[in-house]
Amino acid sequence: MHIMEGYLPLQWCIIWFVVAIIVVAFGIYQIKKIVDETPESKALLAVSGAFMFVLSSLKLPSVTGSCSHPCGNGLGAALFGPAVTAVLATIVLIFQALLLAHGGLTTLGANIVSMGIVGPLVAWLVYKGLTKAGISSTIAVFFAAFLGDLLTYVATSFQLAFAFPAPTFSAALTNFLVIFAVTQVPLAIGEGILTVIIWDRLKAYKPKLLDKLGALAPNEA
Amino acid sequence: MKFDMDYIAHHNELTESNPYFKLFLTIILLILTLALDNLYFDIFIFTVMSIVILAIAKINWRSYLKFLSIPMAFVVITCLFLIFFFGKGEVIYETGILGIVVTTDSLHYGVYTFFRVVGCLPLLGFLALTTPIAKILHCLATLKVPKIFIEIALLMYNSIFIFLNEIDTMQKAQETRLGYHSYWNSFRSLGALASTIFLRSLDKSETLQHSLDSRGYTGELPIYEPRKRE
Repeated sequence: MHIMEGYLPLQWCIIWFVVAIIVVAFGIYQIKKIVDETPESKALLAVSGAFMFVLSSLKLPSVTGSCSHPCGNGLGAALFGPAVTAVLATIVLIFQALLLAHGGLTTLGANIVSMGIVGPLVAWLVYKGLTKAGISSTIAVFFAAFLGDLLTYVATSFQLAFAFPAPTFSAALTNFLVIFAVTQVPLAIGEGILTVIIWDRLKAYKPKLLDKLGALAPNEA
Repeated sequence: MKFDMDYIAHHNELTESNPYFKLFLTIILLILTLALDNLYFDIFIFTVMSIVILAIAKINWRSYLKFLSIPMAFVVITCLFLIFFFGKGEVIYETGILGIVVTTDSLHYGVYTFFRVVGCLPLLGFLALTTPIAKILHCLATLKVPKIFIEIALLMYNSIFIFLNEIDTMQKAQETRLGYHSYWNSFRSLGALASTIFLRSLDKSETLQHSLDSRGYTGELPIYEPRKRE
């Protein structure tokens, strides 16, 4: 759920941009460190980013009949960690704005915060927590993608409620949350299932790569 | 086709004009539109930018309408939502259903948000429809955006189109075999499609790395800047 161009008032655009730039700068610093150690990983990062973009152009079959797309943030976070995913998501969002008119330039900051920072961070925490607890990575990745998606919508509702606090902040927040709950929970479940299918095949075909990225559960490595 | 925006960006009258000028004009006007938050100014910007896009850049009006239509549909829905479910203050109009009312406040929110989007969309369109991505990225590079960011973005931009072609082929193949026949089937097909693309993308990234290495890649992609055709 992208916030579209011009939807937010100026002060909120600036606030979200500042937050986003700080985190993305940290992510770029992290990427620099990775690339200095293994120069080959630059191509891998670029291609994974392209994968995220392309994934978002696929249509996800949804329970309610409305059509939406997977965002691939959960998968990215489970593979590369939240900081790197934030940078990749930033590039993906710029491309979506300029190639698909999806999202916008002024709301880029807000979209990065909800989709590139909150979502992947939650997904990563859930994934790491569950795999540490000894749960298989396939199940962990479902909850990572599901909760990552859900929290993205919660973050978006917060952003919209901050921008339109009428009649009160909490009333606006409940309004937005109810609407998102109806439309987005089925989508989040759909994305979870899709991520599990992808993960299953990755585990079957490229177990060494997952191991190298440190993305498998300790008891599966 | 989905990506005719990229095609249009490469084939219009303003493709070769100065990208810095276009980038800065867009950003300054966007900030101005948001800062003024004035209904007349929004409409003014909408008119001026539409004229620029249609008459000066000579972009087909059908493509421009297509560009506007999806965000516009969204904004109409969300603004109606804002008008009916938000706001306090004086009640202007009662719908009589579930106590839903329109108040002065909510009307103000809805109308202003709607026109803000109306003002901003053609600005985004101006940049997106007249400037190829590679040029925007090159601009950003000279504006001290970290090199690694630009490079990953450029490499990504290149691979996106390769993937889209592959997805197109695969999806057609799946469809002819009734891959999207039932609900559960479409999930399975989509999962198979996405994971295959990911595995392919890993091979592609290796090939890309080899080809870059074999041409003496040291972590920098020099870009040839053709002299302007005046």
